[in-house]
Amino acid sequence: MVTKEEIMKIAILSKLSVEDDEIDKLTEDMAEIISFADTINNAADVESDFDNINNLSNALREDETMPSLDRELILKNAKDSDDGCFMVKNIMK
Amino acid sequence: MKYELVAGFETHVELATNTKIFCSCTTEFGGEPNTHCCPICIGLPGTLPKLNKRVVEYAIRAGLATNCEIAEISKMDRKNYCYPDLPKAYQISQYDKPLCEHGYIQLSNGRKIRILRIHIEEDAGKLVHRRGDTLVDYNRGGVPLIEIVTEPDFRSVDEAKEYVEKLQLIMRYIGVSDCRMQEGSMRCDVNISVRPEGSEKLGTRTEIKNMNSITFIAKAMEYEYGRQVDLIESGEKVVQETLRYDDVTNTTSSMRGKEDANDYRYFRDPDLVTINVPREMVEKIREELPELPEEKKTRYIEELGLPETDAALLTKYRKIAEYYEKASEGTKNPKTAANFIIGQIFRSVETESEKEDFDVNVSAEDLNELIKLLDNGKIRMNLAKSTLDKMLETGKKASELIDESDMGGLDENALAELCKQAVENNPKAVKDYLGGKEKAVKAMVGFVMKNSRGKADAALAEQKIIEIIKNNS
Repeated sequence: MVTKEEIMKIAILSKLSVEDDEIDKLTEDMAEIISFADTINNAADVESDFDNINNLSNALREDETMPSLDRELILKNAKDSDDGCFMVKNIMK
Repeated sequence: MKYELVAGFETHVELATNTKIFCSCTTEFGGEPNTHCCPICIGLPGTLPKLNKRVVEYAIRAGLATNCEIAEISKMDRKNYCYPDLPKAYQISQYDKPLCEHGYIQLSNGRKIRILRIHIEEDAGKLVHRRGDTLVDYNRGGVPLIEIVTEPDFRSVDEAKEYVEKLQLIMRYIGVSDCRMQEGSMRCDVNISVRPEGSEKLGTRTEIKNMNSITFIAKAMEYEYGRQVDLIESGEKVVQETLRYDDVTNTTSSMRGKEDANDYRYFRDPDLVTINVPREMVEKIREELPELPEEKKTRYIEELGLPETDAALLTKYRKIAEYYEKASEGTKNPKTAANFIIGQIFRSVETESEKEDFDVNVSAEDLNELIKLLDNGKIRMNLAKSTLDKMLETGKKASELIDESDMGGLDENALAELCKQAVENNPKAVKDYLGGKEKAVKAMVGFVMKNSRGKADAALAEQKIIEIIKNNS
């Protein structure tokens, strides 16, 4: 069973704001999703944990440096920047 | 009531690879902010991470050097938390299939500190808090780390200190990290709880995060132990929380914010394929492991006959051990090089980092040359010692500093002549010697040494002098 408290916790972790009148509906939806996932779990082969669709493994890269990207391009999509750094609201309270 | 300390360590060690764990950006320390970045390590959509082969090799090396079992199959997982030091809002790490498990490090008191696991992961970026803002530099983001997690096996601060020193030394010996704590390439989190002595049940633990000096670790542990004991004694409870240690006030304080959401919702990273570790690869890495510090120390004591304190001093830094081995190569007595290094060369290295680099004015080859001159009887110990001091001062070789005329000792005739003079000039010593005072001969040997400016062979001179006295009497 999914509780309203769990829905609120997930909302906080996911940084989503949830209105009071949405909670019931979300709780219902989440319960359905989880029961669907349970069906998959019951069908799954335990060994398949390590498989991916192409059964690939060890896609490894040699330890050789390549040029990094220009800082201008790195910061191009930043909402705000200063002194060559990304700038965000102070997260220390 | 007496309380026992119980602690466990989580140590992050930055791997000395050229490139980051999932992209080809450099891992070099420093550099202008955000100049060691690319679309992969700043987490742009549509990019795919690709694992650095050397990270896997180094982690296995670290695992083997700490007696771990190496997994046959391993994988990468996402650890989700929302904080600006992670551009993707998750850190790629390992959850339930770490590369290494079930190892240990043995302490000098015989106790084994069990290593639960060693896993690989990416480092986060660096945050600088400034007035109302936070600045983010992702140069460090994506630098490869191993996290070494122990069981709660520590029972004292001294054990913790020894463990950190040992771990640091092992990682340096096997070349996977420089472990410079002040630069953050080795950082420790410590879990601490206390319980009444004799109790089996673990108390509530707190975690002190991100300490970067052995002194601070010791002080923080002592403080936290005292704080928890005080709480319990006064009838209060220890709250499970994450703490930060302040080295200025020597106190710990609660660290909220980042740890509020300690529900990491781990799941497999679908962008990274399974890591298969063939046994041949593990065996190859095992064969290539260098001699570890503990083994080296034992060999120095048992095979070379060095005193334990000397062996400990010479093996405490990898470069010093390398230097010693080169300097003593092919010499008659392994103690000679050890004495020169500990007695004279150590004076020129003071700080930890100087010892670590061991970049001294006399090369190991030059010291080796000096010792061989001594071994071959070309120079005497007194001259060797003063020459080494000159070498340290000037950086010149022994052969450049020692005059040809000082080498080769004295020929037999010159020695005989000096011994004759010694006997003639010391009638009292001769009388004492004949009267049974065997030590009196030393005064005459001293005369020979002084008048040959240290070139004479003292043992030979002694024989000769006794011979002359016996012939005269």
